[in-house]
Amino acid sequence: MKPDNSELVDRLAAEYVLGTLRGPARRRFERWRANTLQVDQRCRYWEERLMHLAKGLKPVQPPAYVWPAIRKRLNLTPNRAPHRWTRRLALAASIVLVAGLAGLLYWRSLPAVRATASSIISTKSGTEMWEVKVFATTNRLVVQAAKLAARPAGHDYELWALPQGGNPVSLGVLPTEGTSSRVLTAAQKAALASSSQVAVSIEPAGGSPTGQPTGDIVFVAPLQASG
Amino acid sequence: MNPLAESAAESRAEFDEELLGLLSRCAAADSGALQRLYELVAPILFACLTRILRRRALAEEALQDVFVSIWQRAGQFSASRGRPMAWMVSIARYRAIDLLRHERHVPALVPDLPERLGAQPEAESEGSSPAWLPPSGLLEHCLGLLTERQKHCLELAFVGGNSHEDISRLTGNPLGTVKSWIRRGLQSLRQCLEAVP
Repeated sequence: MKPDNSELVDRLAAEYVLGTLRGPARRRFERWRANTLQVDQRCRYWEERLMHLAKGLKPVQPPAYVWPAIRKRLNLTPNRAPHRWTRRLALAASIVLVAGLAGLLYWRSLPAVRATASSIISTKSGTEMWEVKVFATTNRLVVQAAKLAARPAGHDYELWALPQGGNPVSLGVLPTEGTSSRVLTAAQKAALASSSQVAVSIEPAGGSPTGQPTGDIVFVAPLQASG
Repeated sequence: MNPLAESAAESRAEFDEELLGLLSRCAAADSGALQRLYELVAPILFACLTRILRRRALAEEALQDVFVSIWQRAGQFSASRGRPMAWMVSIARYRAIDLLRHERHVPALVPDLPERLGAQPEAESEGSSPAWLPPSGLLEHCLGLLTERQKHCLELAFVGGNSHEDISRLTGNPLGTVKSWIRRGLQSLRQCLEAVP
């Protein structure tokens, strides 16, 4: 299959999404999609549009065992207190003991992951550009781009932590749409821990070649620790 | 746009926003976000799966696979990759189609399904789309321009997970005819969608 035939790409993409492309041809097409942006784009085009054929589908509640089974497969800790267990304890133990345990269970059932710091980067006129969230417990940085953050031609926006008394530390290139999530290095985490601000600079595509901002700093925003 | 339609569109936008937020929290390994996502979208994905796989036990297993995939791939998703619901419905449908490949004993025709010969697709009624579907007057318009046969074949394929051969059997039309209805249906749909700037 030659990727330069856009008519063919479109026809195959539509039949792939529809589900009528089957057998070895489907497998081949999946590999092609995984390696070719143009093919992937056409698939997404059809995925969004053909979804309307399922308009009449009525939601069906899956049986209760499915969610715990998924959690088990992913090794996730339950997010909610095991109510039955607490009730049994209540029968057996004194009110004081139960109160103590309930407190403990409540503490244990708090959502496992919360942003430890966040920042909203906006233009001077108040238009929101990015929301940055730091998850120190899972070592992740999640950035959500506002709906339209136009990329400066041939350049990228790069995010920087501004640690007190130190040089800026790169937190990577910013997405111009959608959400990006990346693992923080120890150096980035340490820099964020002593930063009260983040900055955005315009850099050559792919990010600063020197490890320090080389272009204009276009945004500076406060980084707030979450309570 | 009338006020009712406006508020429906707004609630869909909010739904999309919530899904995006939950996916980004899943990408940050927040299991509470996956649970909320499951509460919101599992019933729709399960409906897609049961319709294609036709066996509940198999669909239940597939639903687990789908949420494992969503969790593992949430970091790759971004709004630039389209709407979150289309992404998740696709994960579910492709999983089901893959499973069909291994399940040779799936009955080709289940009498109580609306896709039996001659039956009209359900929810033909115009107007409100469910909250999980993005509003699209243009798409409704373009689907409305297809012949009944074309539209019926596309639904049998997309919603029911039927192959060309299945559809030929279900509708009693020759395989070549079914293939050409589908090909032309998709072609007209694209021409109509792209005619509007």
